[in-house]
Amino acid sequence: MSSESPGFFRQLPSAIPGLALIIITMVVIRFWIEPWMGDTVILGQKGWLIKVTHLNYILLGIICGMLYRNVIFGGTMPEIFSNGFKLSRLMIKTGIIMLGSLYTFSAIVQLGSMAIFLIGGFVILTIIMVLWLGKVFGLDRSMTGVMANALSICGVSAAVATAPAVEAKASHVAYAIATILGFGILTMFISPFIGHALNLTDLQYGAWIGTGILNSGQVLAAALAFNPNVAPGTAVSVAEIWNIMRVISIPFAVFAITVWYWAGKDSADNTGKKKSLGTLLVEKFPVFVIGFMAMVFLTSMGAFGDVGLKGGPPASDTIKMLRLVMQWVFGFGLVGLGGFIDFKELRQAGGTPLKLGLIVGTTKYVLALIVVLLIKDSLVAI
Amino acid sequence: MANEYKTGSETIGAAGAKSKMTLFKDDRAEDIGSIIVTVLIVAVIVVMNMK
Repeated sequence: MSSESPGFFRQLPSAIPGLALIIITMVVIRFWIEPWMGDTVILGQKGWLIKVTHLNYILLGIICGMLYRNVIFGGTMPEIFSNGFKLSRLMIKTGIIMLGSLYTFSAIVQLGSMAIFLIGGFVILTIIMVLWLGKVFGLDRSMTGVMANALSICGVSAAVATAPAVEAKASHVAYAIATILGFGILTMFISPFIGHALNLTDLQYGAWIGTGILNSGQVLAAALAFNPNVAPGTAVSVAEIWNIMRVISIPFAVFAITVWYWAGKDSADNTGKKKSLGTLLVEKFPVFVIGFMAMVFLTSMGAFGDVGLKGGPPASDTIKMLRLVMQWVFGFGLVGLGGFIDFKELRQAGGTPLKLGLIVGTTKYVLALIVVLLIKDSLVAI
Repeated sequence: MANEYKTGSETIGAAGAKSKMTLFKDDRAEDIGSIIVTVLIVAVIVVMNMK
């Protein structure tokens, strides 16, 4: 199918200029731009830029990649940088596999069946709602697949993890991320006020935002805005473990959306050679998800030492270094991803993905609050 | 419209040579490549932290 391709190792030297640009960009962001944002005083507040806009190295990296393509290079990535940017997916997949080092199976068991049922239920219901609305709005199938997992799980990671499995373009991922982050910024500010107005406990509030807010970083911010204390039983400890549970469902959700995408695509293509479910699973299963699960297994077995879960022993040096490297790998990958986002395509797609995102995001946010209030006596603190 | 939307050079998961966003032959090769890269990174980190 793609036999013209000269092969990975033969193309690798030509990737060096683009790779160098990506690495230099991320180094500048992490060593100069982020510290500068943290030190700058605006409206009498130090670090206002970070506290209010919540821009971090990941978002700055994507923005830089977008600026390279759309502003500096006038809409097309120059040939000299092109192959380097084509390594971005490899880096993102590597980062996702390493993400497995955040989790252990024992932490999940502590959550209790009620939490697992609630989180799983919300993930499944959100996916179903997005797939249905995607059909109603006539949304591109790849876009719908990315939005389904982005809105049902933890936003950015889920969008990025799903994209390769459903032939999504960078602009699809950009839309999903923009919708999630836009919605998340709104909920991050209003959630603490709602929580205090309703007299929610830390457990109830943490369970609500760990289910209802889409992005992991914003879950953390909303939890700390409600109660800045970090200790077992506080809003942040509850919200994070609920959020982790949701993140763990990424490979299962990617798998489900992959099956949905290719089953529908094959019938839509009308090629006359309908594939069985088994063939689809074998052909299209994203193998890097197995790497992620292997990483969770190794972490659970203690292969890298203590994980550093709240209330337990601190993380080992190996785990700390793994997470540091993971941040850099994600940073590089997302600068590359930004370089594939074309403003012309974003305009072409219109506002439908945003409309879908807002409908589903709001429904999930409100419904999560109602359900948490209904089952508040059954919630288990860990 | 859907087909128009997918042409171009940035289709993340496309198999065609022109629409690839990867240096690898296909998605499966890239997946395996990412596992190999992870194994190498993890091995280096584990060795560096050996006491």
